[in-house]
Amino acid sequence: MSRASSFIGGEAVPKVTRGTLVYIIQRLAIIALTLLVVSFVVFVVVHALPGNAFISQRVHGKTLQLLLHEYGLDQPVLIQYWNFLKGAIHGNLGVSLYIRGEAVTPLVLRELSVSCELGGSALIITIGMGMTFGVLAAIRQNTWVDYLLTSIAVIGYTVPSFVIAGLGVMIFANFLGSVTGGAFAYSPVWTGTYGTIGELWLPALAIGFYTSGQITRITRASMLEVIQQDYIRTARAKGLRERVVTIRHALRNALVPVISILGTTVVGILVGVLVIENIFGIPGLGKEFVESILQHDYNVTVGVFTIFALLIGLSNLAVDLIYTVVDPRIRY
Amino acid sequence: MTLGTPHLGGARGGLRRPSQAMLVISLLAVVAAACGGSSGAASSSSGLASSQVLKFPAFQNPGTWDPGEADAEVDTEFMQNVFDNLWRFDNSLNIVPDIATAVPTAANGGISSDGLTYTVNLNHNATFSNGDKVTAEDVLYSWDRAVALQGPYSSNLSAIAGYAAVQSAAGSPPASTTGSPLNFQQSIENGLWGCFRGKGTAGATCDSSLEMSGLTAPDGLTGYTVQITLASACGWCLAAWTLEGTTGAIVDENVIHNDPVNWWTKPSSKTDGMVGTGAFYLASFIPKQSMVFKAVKDWWGSPKPTLTEVDVDIKDPSALATTVAAWKQGSYGIIGYGGDSGNLDYPTIESIKTSPYAKDLLTQPKGRTTWLSFNIGYPKTGGPFVGESAAAVGLRKAFDLAVDKTGLATTVCHDLLCTAATGGLITKGLIGNLGDGQDPLAAYDPTEAKQLLKEYDPTGALTANLTYSYNTGGLNDPVAEYLQNEWQTNLGVHVNLNPVGDASQFISNRLGGQYVMSRDGWQFDYNNPQDWYANLWGTFATAAGANTSGFDDPTYDSILNQADAEPISQSLPLYNQLATILQQDVAYIPLYYSVGNFLIQPWVKGAGSNTGFDYYWDQISILSH
Repeated sequence: MSRASSFIGGEAVPKVTRGTLVYIIQRLAIIALTLLVVSFVVFVVVHALPGNAFISQRVHGKTLQLLLHEYGLDQPVLIQYWNFLKGAIHGNLGVSLYIRGEAVTPLVLRELSVSCELGGSALIITIGMGMTFGVLAAIRQNTWVDYLLTSIAVIGYTVPSFVIAGLGVMIFANFLGSVTGGAFAYSPVWTGTYGTIGELWLPALAIGFYTSGQITRITRASMLEVIQQDYIRTARAKGLRERVVTIRHALRNALVPVISILGTTVVGILVGVLVIENIFGIPGLGKEFVESILQHDYNVTVGVFTIFALLIGLSNLAVDLIYTVVDPRIRY
Repeated sequence: MTLGTPHLGGARGGLRRPSQAMLVISLLAVVAAACGGSSGAASSSSGLASSQVLKFPAFQNPGTWDPGEADAEVDTEFMQNVFDNLWRFDNSLNIVPDIATAVPTAANGGISSDGLTYTVNLNHNATFSNGDKVTAEDVLYSWDRAVALQGPYSSNLSAIAGYAAVQSAAGSPPASTTGSPLNFQQSIENGLWGCFRGKGTAGATCDSSLEMSGLTAPDGLTGYTVQITLASACGWCLAAWTLEGTTGAIVDENVIHNDPVNWWTKPSSKTDGMVGTGAFYLASFIPKQSMVFKAVKDWWGSPKPTLTEVDVDIKDPSALATTVAAWKQGSYGIIGYGGDSGNLDYPTIESIKTSPYAKDLLTQPKGRTTWLSFNIGYPKTGGPFVGESAAAVGLRKAFDLAVDKTGLATTVCHDLLCTAATGGLITKGLIGNLGDGQDPLAAYDPTEAKQLLKEYDPTGALTANLTYSYNTGGLNDPVAEYLQNEWQTNLGVHVNLNPVGDASQFISNRLGGQYVMSRDGWQFDYNNPQDWYANLWGTFATAAGANTSGFDDPTYDSILNQADAEPISQSLPLYNQLATILQQDVAYIPLYYSVGNFLIQPWVKGAGSNTGFDYYWDQISILSH
């Protein structure tokens, strides 16, 4: 019995080997190095941009010089970066220049948690919708269900998330609002730090619908390949119920190629978050990403970029580790 | 393969119900979620709504709410409801008493006969939101501190004797080695603590060099009289001291002493946070997300607030569409408050005007003028407009007359977002506006423009390769294209456009005289022509590094000095002379006056705006709806 066939039982639980631990430590070291490089490059680049956070019709000349001096912005950029780095190592990303004196670390951590709520919801929709549609399309190959779901998938990955968001607002907020006199409509107001389900579903759907198209395609193709394998026939011959065969045996093996694109899917979701948070006024990192650059809020910009780099690094690491759970043949 | 098909066929039957169920559940989830966001409004038969909570969005984050350092309109719009000055502007921009019991005049004895001494009596009932009484020492502390901090509006107090000495004593802040501005505010606070609230407490010392000699309390620090002695007569000072949310605002040393840097970011409490004397206090501030202000219980002033709470969501301007949708649903009471009356774009306004919401649109001229500045006084930058030669003035005039200002307001602003600036630099509705059509530079005469160009630049060499610079965004891009087209059409001169994406870089370059032609403008601070003529041209502007055009005229400076010393009744003709000098010199091309647009629900009573600022929150109530 091969490893693959032993996996049909679906009970294999990979052990955390020493090799895996070494692999994780290596990857974490690479991530740390990446963060250092990202923070340095972003720090130097944003400081090299013309203008600064303080200049206005009233803030110039001596007033401006005082502020620059007060915030240490008149020092050489390498000295500034060194000061930043010393604080960052201790979790202190400095203060905001736009909201004068506001600590950056709690600000970006709160915004990160908001973006994680939105991004996580979008990921659930992406995987849930993408895989459901992919599986259904595969097992109903060449039927109207297949045509409908693959068409939806094509629409999904060809229509950008901001278009879906705009259409959603038009339909669920404006149209439904006017038709029902506001009694039955989507309210595009984010009322707190975290969104309620009523607030969250449309922005999450706008991101998730876009990224789920790819998952649908991959899942369908993978499922079509797997359900023709001998071990699926064997499973059926053993008298297992079709649902068990499909979900436990076929789907699990079909997951490997799906997981392989999860890393890029997460990046796609992060990009979606950047756009969608601005459209819906969601107080997350995506909104901050653009704002902080435009406002020359250097420390916030560096913090946001660094956190995005960290998220991408960790999500790719997580995907690589999930491989070992789904496919025990993969070892590090 | 042959076996596969029957299997799939078999599977079809087995999975039919789950697949259908999943699709149905998905649809139901979407519908249920949509339903979940619906809003409803409680209503009663008449009068006020049971909930007096006003909610509106702000499209900018606050920069700082420390009155000693505040700069942006968004900050002062909020702070006018939290802090009070000795006087305030009413809805018609008249100066009326606030913490002071009267507006000082020569007639009521508030201003000495030589105009140099102001005596101000304070309202004995005035208290901070934490219960601390307001006495003379609070006024002295607030103003001394504001001068020492040397913020953008510290010059509003510059006429007071001892102003320069305090700024000199406060010096420059030490260079930060951490990026945090801890040392400067702390050292000023340490120096002032022993002079006022902390006087006599253990370890407190008073650095008297941080006290302006012209600011005293004749009845003692805990009394209710303040005497302000000026270094020289000042006709505009009262208006400048009244500008709310800035250096004239009264702050509580008891709370600032506990955290000189970040006190304003924290909710108000007895000993900490953003404590003021206004009708509202800060109850919650989540940076870049929201602010909650609550009405001060048994507030000392009037009118007593009806609103119990004001909730503000901080949004990005790109969220305008969803924000307007939320307003239509009744989730927001107002759009445009908080310095955001320029955020509603033309398509949005136009769609509102043709909808049932048209009656809820408030259009209000705002105190902002936009004009074009020539490089007149920076030879290094060069260009054909430098200097006062007949050719330079004639070419400035040619480029001015070639622009149809009324056409600009129609073409670019659709006669909605702005109006043609035909009454001089000072916006319509403010003291110093010359009246419609009274600015000769607002004329449009392409024939004379062409003649002037032919006379002073017959070969076209002087006006070749000219560039107009502007910061991108808003109306600036279409205005630039309009100007380019006008000069091309009426003068046959192609002017290059230099769009600058970064506003701070543009302002820095512009104030440094680095542009031959540039977009320029001013939003008034207080209703006195000095705010315009001193801050923008002449020696004062040059010394402050804010003289865009480099215009320099000894006659102008002389008249300005004379005007600044007189009360407005006597200074207005002098300021009008300054307007004439600028016009004769063709120092600018007047373009447009800005117009603000607000969406105000019919159930929000008392909300509105004047040329300068939003009506105070204590005038607003929520009607049942």
